[in-house]
Amino acid sequence: MKVKIDKSLAASIVLHILVLGWGLISFSARSYEVPQESLAVDIISTDQLAKMTQGIKNGEKDKPKPLVEKVADAKPVDEAIGKVTEKEITTSAAPKPVEKPVEKKPDPPKQAEEKPKDEPKQADKKPDPAKVDPIAEALKSEEAKKPKPKPKPKQEAKAQPTPPQPKQERVFDQTKIAALLDKRDPTRESITGSALNASASLGTHSGNSQNIVATWKGAFVAAVRRCFSFPYNGMDADQFEADIDIYMRPDGTLASQPTIVAVRGPAASISRAMGESAARAIVQCQAYSFLPKEQYETWKYIPMTFGLKDMM
Amino acid sequence: MSDTKSITRRRFMMATGSTVAMLGVQPSFAQRLKIDPNAFQPIPIAIPNFGAGSPADGQVGADVAGVITNNLKRSGLFAPIDPAAFIQKTINIDDAPQFQNWKTVNAQALVVGRVTRQSDGRLLAEFRLWDVVSGQQLAGQKYQTAPEFWRRIAHIISDQIYTQLTGEKGYFDSRVVFVDESGAAERRVKKLAIMDQDGANVRYLTRGSDLVLTPRFSPSSQEITYMEFGQGDPKVYLFNIETGQREIVGNFPGMSFSPRFSPDGQRIIMSLQQGGNSNLFVMDLRSKSTTRLTDTPAIDTSPCYSPDGSQICFESDRGGRPQIYVMPAAGGTAQRISFAKDDVNASYSTPVWSPRGDYIAFTRQGGGQFSIGIIKPDGTGERLLTSGFHNEGPTFAPNGRVLMFFRDPGGNSGPSLFTIDITGRNELKQPTPGYASDPAWSPLLS
Repeated sequence: MKVKIDKSLAASIVLHILVLGWGLISFSARSYEVPQESLAVDIISTDQLAKMTQGIKNGEKDKPKPLVEKVADAKPVDEAIGKVTEKEITTSAAPKPVEKPVEKKPDPPKQAEEKPKDEPKQADKKPDPAKVDPIAEALKSEEAKKPKPKPKPKQEAKAQPTPPQPKQERVFDQTKIAALLDKRDPTRESITGSALNASASLGTHSGNSQNIVATWKGAFVAAVRRCFSFPYNGMDADQFEADIDIYMRPDGTLASQPTIVAVRGPAASISRAMGESAARAIVQCQAYSFLPKEQYETWKYIPMTFGLKDMM
Repeated sequence: MSDTKSITRRRFMMATGSTVAMLGVQPSFAQRLKIDPNAFQPIPIAIPNFGAGSPADGQVGADVAGVITNNLKRSGLFAPIDPAAFIQKTINIDDAPQFQNWKTVNAQALVVGRVTRQSDGRLLAEFRLWDVVSGQQLAGQKYQTAPEFWRRIAHIISDQIYTQLTGEKGYFDSRVVFVDESGAAERRVKKLAIMDQDGANVRYLTRGSDLVLTPRFSPSSQEITYMEFGQGDPKVYLFNIETGQREIVGNFPGMSFSPRFSPDGQRIIMSLQQGGNSNLFVMDLRSKSTTRLTDTPAIDTSPCYSPDGSQICFESDRGGRPQIYVMPAAGGTAQRISFAKDDVNASYSTPVWSPRGDYIAFTRQGGGQFSIGIIKPDGTGERLLTSGFHNEGPTFAPNGRVLMFFRDPGGNSGPSLFTIDITGRNELKQPTPGYASDPAWSPLLS
């Protein structure tokens, strides 16, 4: 039996299919990607940091103020965007034609010069001040929480902690975009502080306090090295080595004279003299009282190898 | 079957990978801490006056300590402590020292000694070298000699101390032969002279009636070879220091220049001028036979042997300007080693090979300056030690660590001798009776 298909029924079915199909395709869920706000970050290695805070060899000894090359921001920069009116922010997310440039203030914590600083160079148009504020707050509190290795005692100038961004609405003046750009030089390669101080404090011969690994080994090597010097400067200087063992008392002094385990090098008299010179250096530079007492088991026996870099 | 193969291969790779990883993890205490030296600091050393075996020896005891102190200080490697700071002024060599007293004045080493005039007239000198830090004796010796040679004892003891603390051979028991200059600038009187390396005991070897140049020591150090402008052409002479006898090395037509001994003392190498050019010749001192080494239409001069006698370095202008060349001692292809990268017009002269064999020292002229420099025998590592209006004629100390050269400030004054470490540090004026030039350092006497 032929099923009589009504023309209008057929058309209705086709149209329904079309509409439903189109709806299926066009309304398929897509993950909403938050536009990434890129923050230019400069990674400073410990070498660069050590170089910046090294001091100079002929500086004055009692100069407590560290070198400051750039005044850090102590207060928020005055933005030339027009009058600021205090208003209550309503949480209803009605997008208002009010923009506010988001600026990252200098970090309140003590390591003002450690943090690579950069300000977003342009004013970002934020959709909603209410939305931005929590983000800025969250970022700031995260920065404050980040653990930083405490540098050797050089008093850093503290930038004043900035108050949380006041909930303000400002009138955005489009003609004054240029004024919104951050004209300050980037501070990431400079040492910042609250007041300019052009003379560096007295630095050490190597000035590598930032490089020292936070284990006792680095500190111990640096301490012994201070006393160890040897005059041989022939072309084969780097072939001379001396293995020396020491046993330590818990207070950081030697329990006995160093033992010269072995010496190596093309000339026996030079390697012998170098071993003796190294043993003298270890004894001279004691007591190594900075060694952590709770780790005594790891340093009560210390084997070392002394060498000669190319002395030329 | 490829499946099982790949599985086993995979298992094998995993097994080896994990083994290698485990091997890489070593317990930290098995690794030795590496320690490199700090910038060099001179070694602080205390040298109190030597004790007197009898009351008459007090002055000699003080003099010996003074010579040792001066030697070590001038080497630049030691820092003798001012005796005024000593807590203990006199110390008996037979007693163990009170190390605490010496640690207080920051001494790392201590020299204790005594001199005694013996019944047979000879002088007995004894010393001990102590390591203040560890409390151990490092060296101790006794010497006997005729009393007038007390300075040599002091130099020998200085060498012992130097070797014990640095590991290198010393250079204090040696002499320097040089040309002593006196008189007005236009009519200088030049005499051959010899002195101890610290400037003492100066003796004149010629009278100054004829011009003398480029004296050089024999390795056995009893003979000197030098050039003298007598009647006619300049000639090469051999001079015995002890006997005072002089002989002409050979009769060559033409002029002979810059003579030098071979390391075994059996031959003299020199340059002979014939016509417009000069070439290198070697003469055997026993057989008097001569061998030609170079044959070029250029000026080859100022030859010098390597310490093992296998090579020579010399100055030649065959390439245009004077440069330094290295050649096998028996003759052969000469290799140029001096290339001044920063000055195309620089010229190099007076090369001399270090007794350590590791450097050749030279005079370099360029840009209105004269410099003394060193370079490795393969031509690398050139470094200039001093530059100025005039510097010339380097000679190495027996241990290859110190150079002596002469410098003429020009004008009405005359040249003087200077010493400098091969690192370029510690430039010192050498004490001489008057003006002096052309130094040559002897080997160690002992």
